[in-house]
Amino acid sequence: MSTTYLCGLDIGGTFTDCVLVDDRGRVVSAKAPSTPGDFAEGLMNALGIAARKCGRPVSELLADTSLISHGTTVGTNAIVQKRGARIGLVTTRGHNDVIHIMRGSRGLDGREVRQVVHIPESRKPTPIVPKRLIRGVSERVDCFGKVVVPLNEDQAAQAVRELLAEGVEAIAICFLWSFLEPAHERRVKALVQDLAPGLFVTCSHELVPKWGEYERTTASCLNAYVGPVTTSYLADVEARLEHAGYGAPLQITQSAGGTIPVETARRSPLLTLDSGPVAGVMGSRHSGGAMGYDNVITTDMGGTSFDIGVIHGGEPACSFRSKVHQYEYYLPKVDIQAIGSGGGSMVRIDEVTGTLRVGPESAGAEPGPVCYGRGGEAPTVTDADLVLGRLNPDNFAGGAMRLDLAAARRAIAGVADRLGMDVDACAAGITQIVEFQMADLIHKATIQKGFDPRDFVVFAFGGAGPAHAGVFAAELGVSKVVIPQRATASVWCAFGAASVDLLHIYERVDIMASPFDLERVNALLASLRGRAEAQLLADGLPRERHRFRYALDMRHKGQIHEVEVGLDEMPLGRLGLDRLPERFTALYERLYGSGSSLAGARLEIVTARCRASAATPKPSFVRSEERTPDIPPAARLGERSVYWPRVAGAAGARATAAGTAVARTTVAGTADAGAKAGAETAPPGGAAPGRGLPGRVNTPIYDGHALAPGNGIEGPAIVELDTTTVVVHPGQALHMDAYGNFELFPGPARPGNGAAAPRETGARRIAADAG
Amino acid sequence: MLRISEMHDVRFDGRHYPYVPPEALRISETLRLHGDWDAEVDPVTFEVIRHNLWHVNEEHGATIQKVSGSPVAMYALDLNPSILTEDAEFVYFGPYMQYMSGVTDTQVKWILEHRSDNPGIHDGDMFLANDPWVGAAHQQDVMLICPVFFEDELFCWVTNCLHQYDVGGITPSSFCPAAESAYDEGILIPPVKIVEKDVIRRDIEELYLRASRKPEMVALDFRAQLAGNTTAKTRILSLIERYGAGTVKGVMKRIIDNAEKAFLDKMARLPDGEWQERTYVESCRPGDRRTHRVVLTVRKKGDRLTFENHGSAPQDGAMNATFSGWRGSVMVAINELLCWDQYFAVGGALRHIDFNPTPGTFNCANFPGSVSTAPIQAMEISLYPAYNALSKMIHPDPEMRRDILCIGGTSQWPCTVFRGIDQWGERYGYILVDPIGGAIGAFAHADGINTGGQVRTPICQLPNVEHTEQSFPVLFLYRKELPDSGGAGRFRGGMSAESCFVPHNTEEIVQDTLSSGNAAPTSPGLMGGYPSATNRYAYVTGSDIGERFARAEMPEDIDEVEGTPVHLELRQQNLVQRAADVYAVRWCGGGGFGDPTERAPEAIQSDLDNFAITEGAARDIYAAVLDGESGRVDAEATARRRERLKAERVARFGRAATVRTGDLLHEVTPYLHARRDGRGAFWACARCSAELGALDDNYKLGCNREDRHISASNPLIGEPRDFINDDVEFRQFSCPGCGTLIENEVAVASDPVLRDIELRIRA
Repeated sequence: MSTTYLCGLDIGGTFTDCVLVDDRGRVVSAKAPSTPGDFAEGLMNALGIAARKCGRPVSELLADTSLISHGTTVGTNAIVQKRGARIGLVTTRGHNDVIHIMRGSRGLDGREVRQVVHIPESRKPTPIVPKRLIRGVSERVDCFGKVVVPLNEDQAAQAVRELLAEGVEAIAICFLWSFLEPAHERRVKALVQDLAPGLFVTCSHELVPKWGEYERTTASCLNAYVGPVTTSYLADVEARLEHAGYGAPLQITQSAGGTIPVETARRSPLLTLDSGPVAGVMGSRHSGGAMGYDNVITTDMGGTSFDIGVIHGGEPACSFRSKVHQYEYYLPKVDIQAIGSGGGSMVRIDEVTGTLRVGPESAGAEPGPVCYGRGGEAPTVTDADLVLGRLNPDNFAGGAMRLDLAAARRAIAGVADRLGMDVDACAAGITQIVEFQMADLIHKATIQKGFDPRDFVVFAFGGAGPAHAGVFAAELGVSKVVIPQRATASVWCAFGAASVDLLHIYERVDIMASPFDLERVNALLASLRGRAEAQLLADGLPRERHRFRYALDMRHKGQIHEVEVGLDEMPLGRLGLDRLPERFTALYERLYGSGSSLAGARLEIVTARCRASAATPKPSFVRSEERTPDIPPAARLGERSVYWPRVAGAAGARATAAGTAVARTTVAGTADAGAKAGAETAPPGGAAPGRGLPGRVNTPIYDGHALAPGNGIEGPAIVELDTTTVVVHPGQALHMDAYGNFELFPGPARPGNGAAAPRETGARRIAADAG
Repeated sequence: MLRISEMHDVRFDGRHYPYVPPEALRISETLRLHGDWDAEVDPVTFEVIRHNLWHVNEEHGATIQKVSGSPVAMYALDLNPSILTEDAEFVYFGPYMQYMSGVTDTQVKWILEHRSDNPGIHDGDMFLANDPWVGAAHQQDVMLICPVFFEDELFCWVTNCLHQYDVGGITPSSFCPAAESAYDEGILIPPVKIVEKDVIRRDIEELYLRASRKPEMVALDFRAQLAGNTTAKTRILSLIERYGAGTVKGVMKRIIDNAEKAFLDKMARLPDGEWQERTYVESCRPGDRRTHRVVLTVRKKGDRLTFENHGSAPQDGAMNATFSGWRGSVMVAINELLCWDQYFAVGGALRHIDFNPTPGTFNCANFPGSVSTAPIQAMEISLYPAYNALSKMIHPDPEMRRDILCIGGTSQWPCTVFRGIDQWGERYGYILVDPIGGAIGAFAHADGINTGGQVRTPICQLPNVEHTEQSFPVLFLYRKELPDSGGAGRFRGGMSAESCFVPHNTEEIVQDTLSSGNAAPTSPGLMGGYPSATNRYAYVTGSDIGERFARAEMPEDIDEVEGTPVHLELRQQNLVQRAADVYAVRWCGGGGFGDPTERAPEAIQSDLDNFAITEGAARDIYAAVLDGESGRVDAEATARRRERLKAERVARFGRAATVRTGDLLHEVTPYLHARRDGRGAFWACARCSAELGALDDNYKLGCNREDRHISASNPLIGEPRDFINDDVEFRQFSCPGCGTLIENEVAVASDPVLRDIELRIRA
């Protein structure tokens, strides 16, 4: 019997990635340049390269492919480049300005605080739908879902005709309370379809049947805005794949952390926004799961930003509100938090006060850091890393690029002189500031949500991530950083796309106050299930593969915070209903703090949700049977002078004296040794700035691609890879696991938070297993 | 009436007169202050700790929001956390309700002075306070103040302030528009120790909650405040543990020193002088038809700023604020115009600022004046003139000019206070939050922001209509931005909006009105800019709205509805609204910047296309010529018409003008220069160099003055006499040489011409 494949395809700004996983878990990956203008071409190219690597013609390969999962950025690009469709909006008369009023704010969520407080910088965004293309139609539904004013069909038809005459390419329809009574939206949609067959049309109740007209209108308009371009792109991809011999379903990755059938993506392209980074989180979830980690903080530090996701108990943290270009909208989404701290983050000195600041402005890829030699003049984090000796000027990005160390040094010296610091200390300071910003973001995404980061392992991705992960992980008390390697690392999002389930999310708002009516709750859940089941069957998925999970968003009556309470059963029994307040309170207090829940207060159910999924085949991982403590001679690349902010005590002396790393014999041994070495050598304050003795040390350099499973290295050390550089600080240890991933042990957490003692975390478990 | 600086033998201790902290605080010797810090902190450690302190404060605010979860905390963001040094200088102050800044440091200083001996200030204590004479804005703004100790020494303070639903008084919500004195209002609590040795004192908490109509919500909010302080205190202690007390304190001091340096740098770039603004509050109690003058003066001498309110009306009725409310208002403008680049670290600037109001005026009221409505009336009206005065002060500096902010929307809050039985059969009481959508006034280089919120709460959000309809028995007919609501100008003020609703699923709604700025606009323009719309209540009873519903014809404006129009007074009580009674409330927009007849034709066209202005305004105020056929702005014809109008203006007066050149001293406004030649310093038109008088005189006297009815300044302004006994004028001052509009003034007819700018030029 022939081999069958799973295929993940991901289009990024620069490269289009393809991952093929066969039924024995073997992975083939390929990259081709992305082809803006006709993205499908780059996609077919990547597929062609992968096919050649497998030694098979594309047609044969596709015939043996059971599933293609595709992540697309076509919609995201249209929004970023403001090149979406000319859209019209039909809404409730009197409420035309909802999307312009933006809830009386300037779209501040997620923006840098200075832009918020400095009013001249805090403009509203350019509207995606101008007022001239918005039509109000008489109709009204109230908060009980009762029709108060019937739809004025003449006005509606007139509105649609006027918009068509204005040349709109898509129409969004959003009426007040349509999520309770969608008849009017449906009727107007039918009118559009009559008057302009084939025109892209979105109804808010179909896309996001949620409470809150601003966010719902925004979602509908964004969907229409990216609709035509996404639809035609997907049709193109489908046709090309079919032409090339592919006969199985095409699935599209979505931002909620699963895939959707291509038909759904064509109807609701909004679901695909930001799906690339989400696929990365989902890939981490899948591989983390395979390695035994239920709690993972995924971190991705590229040139311009630092993105994190949180997986707890095997489930990614989700949010139900999203934002783009200052607009906020509803969309169930795997939550990714970002700050502008990347390799390209620029260093500046506040002229008046003479203080040092890093980011959030970024030099990006063009002109990029000073050391790129492309005209960048402001020193960046990457320049600091280079000056410190962490990066190899002759072996950056696999040797694809030479870095100008002298220029970087001059740039940093310019800053250092003005601050009266020496160049190395200044460069180290720059990296520390960025590392602390990253630690703060993770702090917000975990501690402020009721999670303890010490219960997590960190996955570090991105070109700049593994150079800094050791410090922010230590800062947070995280005991292990995993740097995924081998074939999947550079095509992680494509890999993630291939690793997720098909997922439909159905939501319905029915606001009810306690005491709850069991029948009403169950009727609500049953209606969701009915729709979900019909969809899965329509997707061609047999019942035995269906999986349904239910949840209720609840809150204190009169308060704002909603908490998603998962349900164990459907229909809900009397006992389950009675236990709802207790479960709500427990979750609420975890999120909002002990004592925050008003005992005995009335509760409200706001939204019911059904996640309907169908498992798809998954890539598996191949463990290496051979493990060795012996570092292959080819992996040793000699030494280089590297500046460390803390070369304290024995570790520094040993590293200098021996000049080589000590290999460890077992995984568990390394973990213990890492912890012990740190405990012996780290001064109080861990990797804190301003403590311990800074200085330059001749530091061993390794070729990460030549290291073997079972190899262990003690810091200080630098491990160079084609796509990134791993920095192992004094007192830290690095180990390659059986899957070829690197595990970095950041050393003991700083004192005072009680985290120094080993804990029963995923990290410990896996270490014990392997040992 | 005397200014504070002129009053002697008076105790400013927060009892009859407001608490005004002395230069040196009188603190019990039993309390040891941590006074030992590192003068030098390396730049990296500084930045890391600075960043951390900002986040401590941010997390403090987030914690309050999380635990409270109330619409007040989540939408109106009527809260603010801060960090202060051991001697109550601001380190950081959050981006929430800005008013609360000015009320924080004074309360901490009062505690240091009046509580350090008895009952003492110790580790594990927290103080609760809401007394406006000690320092709260009004009784509803309850502060929880937490000393942070390190090794027996008071290291710093973390505090927060959160608006409460109800703390008692004659009106639910504790906003008491009919109160005659503080005795009619919510409970007054001078700082009391409510947490002792980390334990809540049950006796004090019960005392606190007893007067409230919503004790359970106040109790939850108290928990939120407690959690916020605890979070901040814990994080600061862990910073101390890690970096050492001397280093952390060194960073705090340097944050303030840096902010001070930045402030002084700005002061050095500006001329000395005095800037004054005048505006009005209408109606201080039900039945009152007077206007009450508000005057704000800022004087700059070297590196010192002095703020005064001399000339403001005496305290009266239920419209007052205390010293701290007024100071807090002025500090909002200081923060946003002068300290934004230092993340609101206003402590540095405060070292060089004097507040010298006149006690007994309505925005510096003595006990027991009624002050419960302060933030929506007396404080708003104290704040917004400060924007104009400071904007005029900073205009001479080209870089600071980019920070200029014209007065924004909702400069007086038109309240919709309503109550009754909701659609679920439960009793409710509420103040419609919609006016918080406000508008941002024009900038000196760009248009303002339509419904961009209120500047004094940079990050607020108004609820969706669906949110309001779910919670209250109303059906919104519309919520829309209003063309022409933004003040006209070369750069237009942001548009404001109007909300309109009928009762729904209830028998009736009982309403109180509470407003000002309905007669005379409270968001005047700046430097030739025009005022925004006024506030407006519109009410049509016994309307045809039911028939319209049945016919599926929804109105887009209350004026389309057939019925009996009813005039609503500014402080009306117990208005009963039934199903066919349509109610609408418009809040005012942002003021404009610069002469509207200098607005670019393409900008006018864009405004017409986007419904920001009407054709009438384009013609009458912007002096645009619209093409008869296409209706589009004809740029050339517009330019010709504008030149002709200026020439006509010059001709109307026939006043001789002398061109006088000399060295340019300052670009005082885009239209007004200060110059100097051998004969001395003088005002001159920036366009034609016509002399406008000696620098010692009011430049307006050298201009041609035209007095117009206030309704000429904005199409949405009506007849002031509908609400007040005064006439209101729109005074325009133009160059006698070329007809250029130099400045406008909104004034009650009996008031003299305002001298808004005085410059002191050193010889």
